[in-house]
Amino acid sequence: MEKQETLAGRLQAGERAAAVELVDKYYEQIYLCMRRLGHSRDVSEDLTQECFLQVWKHIGQLRSGRALKSWMYHIAGNVSKLYWRKHGGRGDVSLADFDMEASGEDELSAVERNEQLVRLTDTVGRLPLKLRQTIVLHYMQHLTISESSDALGIRKGTFKSRLNRALSFLRKELK
Amino acid sequence: MIMEKDRLENLLNELTERTGEPVRPGLAEDIKGTIPAELSRHRGGLDTIRIMIDLRVNKLAAAAVIIAAMIIGITFWPDGASNSDGLYQDGKFLVEYLLKGEMASSKNMLAGLPGSSDFFQDGREAVYYGEGVEGGDKDALIMHWKISEDSYRVIYGDFRTDVVTASELIRLQAKMLQRKVK
Repeated sequence: MEKQETLAGRLQAGERAAAVELVDKYYEQIYLCMRRLGHSRDVSEDLTQECFLQVWKHIGQLRSGRALKSWMYHIAGNVSKLYWRKHGGRGDVSLADFDMEASGEDELSAVERNEQLVRLTDTVGRLPLKLRQTIVLHYMQHLTISESSDALGIRKGTFKSRLNRALSFLRKELK
Repeated sequence: MIMEKDRLENLLNELTERTGEPVRPGLAEDIKGTIPAELSRHRGGLDTIRIMIDLRVNKLAAAAVIIAAMIIGITFWPDGASNSDGLYQDGKFLVEYLLKGEMASSKNMLAGLPGSSDFFQDGREAVYYGEGVEGGDKDALIMHWKISEDSYRVIYGDFRTDVVTASELIRLQAKMLQRKVK
């Protein structure tokens, strides 16, 4: 956390080396977040680049008290949302579009497991965007409740409520 | 019968691992290539104004929103803490924007500036020089008003405020006049 604040401070001071460090630290996370939000590989790459362009543009708006990670995800969320608003839909690519490698289980277990995972990916893909974001940020990008709610610009209570709704939906659908 | 929460969380964790695909080599370098030579700093105000303009928000409505936010900021962080900084910057840019527009005579826009409370509380009349003043001009006077017998509050083009004596004010006015003649 302390290191992040230092990085944020260096960015605010306009240090170019800090910008390079920021790219190394976050580009994979942001790319995967875009993928998990339902964008194709090419679009996810473009949106990751767009996200960093927005960061360079708005770096002066980063408040010292705000965690850099949440701020990055906040921008990523907005970039993704704007893409869908412009191109319609809310993510045409299912999470099942990922290359699912088989795990080290025996064949039968692996098949059952993969079946469940495919059903899970489909169900996550059917979640309304607001609910899907909670699953992606908290469970897949490993942001804490506090970081996730900050990234979405909502209160912790609202985030928890959306997360619970998303989990309930998944549990009912998967049975 | 619904799925246990723990089981679902395990599945989500596994899904996360499986969806961790490799990123194209070179993407990081492409992004680094977009880093501008100079990273922008303290542009919050300008961006806010641009958003207002982009959204075609009425100037007066935009002014009301930003000035209200600025006053709240100054009320809660009178020492200029980082949180009020952005609001103050917003206010400065807004005034700058308005001074160049059709609302140049709108003196009330300056209500949120630190030090101006003595004017607004007492309802004193101010002398306004705003028209033709370039935003950010630290030598130009935007306005002044009398505080007491020999002291005047002045606001400069870069939105600094100061208290000056009558003779200092005359000197400032003379400078302004010289600039206009030139």
